[in-house]
Amino acid sequence: MSSSRAARPTSVPDTKPNSYKPHPLIPFLQARSQTVLTRLYQKPSACLSIFRLLAPLERQLVMNLLWLEAPINLSTMGSWVVPECKKEYTEAVANLGRLHIVPNSPVKLGLNSTFKTSFRQALTGGGTSGSFGIPAEPDEKRPSISIETLDSYALERWETILHYMVSSGSATKPSSGALFLLQRSGLMASYHGSQSQITSTGFQFLLHSPHDQLWDLLLQYLDMSDDRQMDLVDSLHFFFMLSTMELGKEYSTENLTTTQKTLLEDLRDYGLVWQRRPSSKRFSPTRLATTLTSSSPPLPTTTGVTSGPQEGFVVLETNYRLYAYTDNPLQTAVLNLFVSLKYRFPNLVVGSVTRDSVRKALLNGITADQIISYLTTHAHPQMRKNNPLIPVTVQDQIRLWELEKNRLKSRDGFLYNGFQAQGDYELVLTYAKQLDVVLWENAKKKAFFASLEGHQNIKGFIERRGQGGK
Amino acid sequence: MADSRGSHLSVVLDLSPSQWHLSAENPPTNPFPLSLSSFLSQLLTFLNAHIASKHENSLAVFGAFPRKSILLYASSNTPTSDDTMDANWFPPFRQVDFTVVRRITEELDSLEGASEDEAPTALVGALTKALCYVNRIMQPPAQAIAKPSDKVDLSTLPEPHILILSVSPDLATSYIPIMNAIFSAQKLKVMIDVCQIYGEDSVFLQQAAHLTGGSYILLERRDALLQYLIMCFLSPQSIRQTLSVPTQDRIDFRAACFCHKNIVDIGFICSVCLSIFCQPVPVCSTCRTKFPMKTLQRLNASRPASANVSNRPSPSPAQSRPAVTSTNGDTPRSHGLSELPSTSSINAHTRTASNGTKSS
Repeated sequence: MSSSRAARPTSVPDTKPNSYKPHPLIPFLQARSQTVLTRLYQKPSACLSIFRLLAPLERQLVMNLLWLEAPINLSTMGSWVVPECKKEYTEAVANLGRLHIVPNSPVKLGLNSTFKTSFRQALTGGGTSGSFGIPAEPDEKRPSISIETLDSYALERWETILHYMVSSGSATKPSSGALFLLQRSGLMASYHGSQSQITSTGFQFLLHSPHDQLWDLLLQYLDMSDDRQMDLVDSLHFFFMLSTMELGKEYSTENLTTTQKTLLEDLRDYGLVWQRRPSSKRFSPTRLATTLTSSSPPLPTTTGVTSGPQEGFVVLETNYRLYAYTDNPLQTAVLNLFVSLKYRFPNLVVGSVTRDSVRKALLNGITADQIISYLTTHAHPQMRKNNPLIPVTVQDQIRLWELEKNRLKSRDGFLYNGFQAQGDYELVLTYAKQLDVVLWENAKKKAFFASLEGHQNIKGFIERRGQGGK
Repeated sequence: MADSRGSHLSVVLDLSPSQWHLSAENPPTNPFPLSLSSFLSQLLTFLNAHIASKHENSLAVFGAFPRKSILLYASSNTPTSDDTMDANWFPPFRQVDFTVVRRITEELDSLEGASEDEAPTALVGALTKALCYVNRIMQPPAQAIAKPSDKVDLSTLPEPHILILSVSPDLATSYIPIMNAIFSAQKLKVMIDVCQIYGEDSVFLQQAAHLTGGSYILLERRDALLQYLIMCFLSPQSIRQTLSVPTQDRIDFRAACFCHKNIVDIGFICSVCLSIFCQPVPVCSTCRTKFPMKTLQRLNASRPASANVSNRPSPSPAQSRPAVTSTNGDTPRSHGLSELPSTSSINAHTRTASNGTKSS
């Protein structure tokens, strides 16, 4: 046992290139048609943002091709690739092909000309597209808003949505647009017109990192755009424009299309954009918006704690006790999903991981791995000294509880008992076995259990025999 | 995830006015003229490409001017620019471009009245500053230092690399400082890339690139500078494992002697402190060790008549010499000094090698 412990992988992250997980937006874009993508690539800011979302190898390939006037032979680029990594290279080229950044061609390698022109323009500046946002004229009367205010505004908006989800509708309601989006994305559902309830996808969603959560919602939003007669390309352009804007600066709403103006209102609800008044002619992006294209953003929401250390707040002991240094209602509510909380202090919540609390979470559709990864990412710095980070006993036990849940399977069916004679019982049982519907049998008690599908046949068989016997 | 850390790039620019003037001269003496202004515009695009690659990427630009080196731009401490914003330009690009160009123009203007004979550029100074900068950003954040017991999570620190864009010939006096810089770069695990844009191969910078695992390129087609920069120097170490970059197949490993600062093919090494001399000396100037007269005579006798001191800037690999002869040591105990073959540990950086690394 001890040797297997030693072989346990440490918390060192896997640095192999193939462990790279593509950004959620990339598959979404790959599913779009070439015309949509070509329109998308007309804006320099869109090219820049999409470029940033690509995998590192793909980025380097795009850069290598960017300043070439004519496509080059596949073999020319291929000769730069280390032979052992040929697979990753082919994958990267195929990926770029699906995005229509590198047109599929068996012999030549070159960039889509629209993409090339726009991206060159993004790097060198110039042009008249105004795709990086038109700055608003400085206003003498009102100084522009501070970054702290923007952060707290974004945080408050975002946490309102999440908190509403955790509390299953009892907390402050976010705006109707946000509510609709939550329902539409299947994170919350209302049954029979009652209060909307969080779904199992919703529970899983809560344990994701804020960056993933944000993109989850935005992708849902984009999916919805067709129903609402919004132009997908316009919406994407607006997202990408936001992501390249500067935090703490004000931009003008002039030149925005109708779609983009609607979008602006919705994004204000989610906390991505700040406006002084709804009718204001200027807006400022918040940190949620400006970090859209970075992979590990310093989102204010990741550490919405006013006290305690910034990077993590959860201490978990081998005796299943959990101490969370937080006063944030959202974090407490998320912990409450799988921890039974015992005491609450101004800056500390104490609880323990119990069989019941974990089972409750499992029934909600949260998996053991999600619980463990949440505990790992939010572990207190004090815990980081331990190896492995989360006590093995607790980790194993949570997994065992999950297995336990899978041990029981429920099937609907009927129990047949009260047979007069052993012969009757066996006759019916043989018939049921021929139908292959028997789930359980006990010859001693002269009883068996068959699934729902077989009931009509078995019932008929018994009745026919009863009549025949008379 | 492999992608979660940004990469840091420090660029060291050699801005020697006279060399750039030569570089901009017209054909036929100079087949591919490259003026400073067109160099800068290509460089800025390259810098933008680095910042574009990732939100977390950081950048520092150092300039080496005659007699002084300064930090031209650093992404960590840029003052918020109050110039008007431009809807067609990504704000960080604008900031880099403006700051770098403005600082260079200021510095070059201040050189205007300088004397005719130009002082050599402070390339080593700039390189050292770049290393200091890397060292600073590689330090874990302040809280972690307070609690030394905490392990620093290496995966969050940026991946550093340094790019030297040089136009000046080697400066023999800077041999020791360059070597020291290389050693500290090795210790910091910083890769040094070198692009010799104008002039002949640089012996010392070749060694710098080789010893730190970087790439060295002597630019022949100066009109394709940007493509060279992007293909060879943009990728961080992790990408180079997949998409290889050119490395040298021949490296000039010659060293400069401590006594006359000449670049030597065959040197004489003090067996006590490893100082290099171009001719046998009775007393080591560094550690004051006295060598026996007998060995001195023998070594003098065995010296080839002409090939001992070389000032040729360009090495011809065909003439590569296998080794450096060791000036015999002279600690009283050692007797069989005379025939000491140069040990591998001693001559690691003085051998003229013809079997350098070969890229795949």
